[in-house]
Amino acid sequence: MAALLVFGFGVSGVSGVVAYFLPAITAALNITHQPTNNSGKHPQATPTVPPTTTPNGPLNILLLGSDNDTKFEPDHVLTQTMIVVRVNPTAHTVVMFSIPRDLWVPIGDDGGYAKIDAAYADGGAAEAISTVENNFGITINYWVWIGLGGLVQLVNDLHGVNIVAQMPIMDDEYPSDLTGNNPYAQARVAILPGPQRLGGVVALEYVRSRHGDILSDIARSQKQQQLLLDIKAAAKDEGLADVPTIAGSLGNSMKTDMSISEVASLLPLAKTLSDGSVQQVIMTGSPYFSNYFVDGQDALLPDWPAINSLVAQYFPT
Amino acid sequence: MRRLLPIVAALAAMALFGLVVYSVMGTLKSTKNISHKPTQTQALVALPGTVTLVQGGNIYRLSGLQFTEVKAPPYDWVQVEPAPDGDILAVAYASMFTNVYLLTSQGQVVRELLQESSTYYFQNHWAYYPKVSPNGATLFYATDWLDPDDAYDVDFQIQAVPFANPSAHPTVWSTPNEFQGGDVEPIPLANGGIIYAKYAVATTGATYAQLVYASSPYANPVYLTTAAQDCAEPALSPTGTEIAMVCSDNSLQTTTLEVASFNGTSIGTPVVVSAGPLPASPTWSTNGKGLLYLNTLLTDKASPFQLWWIPNALAAKPSPPQQVTADLDFTATSPPIWSS
Repeated sequence: MAALLVFGFGVSGVSGVVAYFLPAITAALNITHQPTNNSGKHPQATPTVPPTTTPNGPLNILLLGSDNDTKFEPDHVLTQTMIVVRVNPTAHTVVMFSIPRDLWVPIGDDGGYAKIDAAYADGGAAEAISTVENNFGITINYWVWIGLGGLVQLVNDLHGVNIVAQMPIMDDEYPSDLTGNNPYAQARVAILPGPQRLGGVVALEYVRSRHGDILSDIARSQKQQQLLLDIKAAAKDEGLADVPTIAGSLGNSMKTDMSISEVASLLPLAKTLSDGSVQQVIMTGSPYFSNYFVDGQDALLPDWPAINSLVAQYFPT
Repeated sequence: MRRLLPIVAALAAMALFGLVVYSVMGTLKSTKNISHKPTQTQALVALPGTVTLVQGGNIYRLSGLQFTEVKAPPYDWVQVEPAPDGDILAVAYASMFTNVYLLTSQGQVVRELLQESSTYYFQNHWAYYPKVSPNGATLFYATDWLDPDDAYDVDFQIQAVPFANPSAHPTVWSTPNEFQGGDVEPIPLANGGIIYAKYAVATTGATYAQLVYASSPYANPVYLTTAAQDCAEPALSPTGTEIAMVCSDNSLQTTTLEVASFNGTSIGTPVVVSAGPLPASPTWSTNGKGLLYLNTLLTDKASPFQLWWIPNALAAKPSPPQQVTADLDFTATSPPIWSS
């Protein structure tokens, strides 16, 4: 009888724990292990180099960030953020390599040129990966996609992030498309410079605004990498009991082809990384690219020898 | 029936246990970065005088160990600055603009100084960092300048209006670097000039701020700090002979609080008085010896901003910074007002 009681209370307790983590479990199942399928018009577009990892060897994760508002068809969104994150678990180092979204490159398998941010919209994660691999020669092991709303939620769930705003952010035509019915709505944005604590909406404004910045997308890449480091710092204070809240809010705004166990294996490294062990790589114009007007739009024309040299430095084979 | 009762009771207890476990899991969530209202706490250290500062859109006053809320109108207050006669200059934020008010120390509106809202979208404006000149005659502030030929080009510039008649046509004091954030944080000087922070972007892509002295409107800026120092948020001591400033290491992950002598047109070699993680918005004590500022916990740069002070910032060997508050979340872009 006593054993039955102990068993009953054990089952009840475990049920309580499972119920608590149910949002996390559900979100984890929804977010992870996503197929790297091709959702676009280039069915042949697949990574040219099969993803391989060696135990504890460096791995490259393509981090994609997008508008996910009603301007676009679901899952056919431009990627405002493309960062290749190289994680070296043995050396405890990370490299963040930002790819300018306006880079004019061949995408897909038909050889057509477009801005690189169109690859995901055109053919999903598979085409984004193959475009990066074909052009940069970097083998992508995994991909992670996050929508803008997910970033806002993540920062809010962390109770805000501290940033040092690198300069006043002024934008009279900031896209106000995350709320309301008009995906083309605009808002006036002003973020003061210096150290400060930002909630999710303002953090997104900080990394997304580019109109008032002479460096435009380059500055945005800098700020995106900066925010990633600040999010990492804020996430250090979160514990296991915080996971359901965070995972629950990311459920509809994040996807990856990593498995739950692969994600879990990287978390300890993320917690122990110091700022000094993270190298930020941003191509700031010449010699890596030049302005280019093509097909009625402003783009960036890559200088591949210069880019390849940079890639070889940070992504040694 | 009587035999079923213990079974039902046991099942109910098990279900209750499950609920308790569920609830206990919720209590294990991190509360590290959840802040309180200042009026729910006490300061850790009693500072001399009174400090006025902003948290979560409200204005608070710290006297001794106790906080009280300044009962201002229910706007979203984002910055406070000292005004003559113990009044407060306060910036109220709205979604498209900010207005600047003159408040009594108790929070009553004396008058609206800058009304920046408009029914025409591009005629809404931001006004931040209001400062009254030492002679009380002029109100300086940073406001957005919009390039009439390019709606993307918006930068802060320094303007000034008569304090007694702030609706008068403003005098423009600075020419911002276009598309580079602009000019902010004016400090009017007794000699009629101003100090401010000018933002710029180097050809390498690095963004930086430099402290600038301008003797008159549109005067050529005299740079007080270098691009490599990347310093902003100047605070002038009551004697006018020392400047505190916040400098970045350009990695944008840490800042330092530094103090340098000032002779009116140039500054001496800066001394770091707080090495990190994110000191911000310094203010001098009325006797010009102490320095009050906002910073995170020294061991956790992701924590909310607390009040810190250095009692003897000008000593040959300043004492280590002392934490004044805990579990609060002050607005780090609003320097505290420290009055006697």
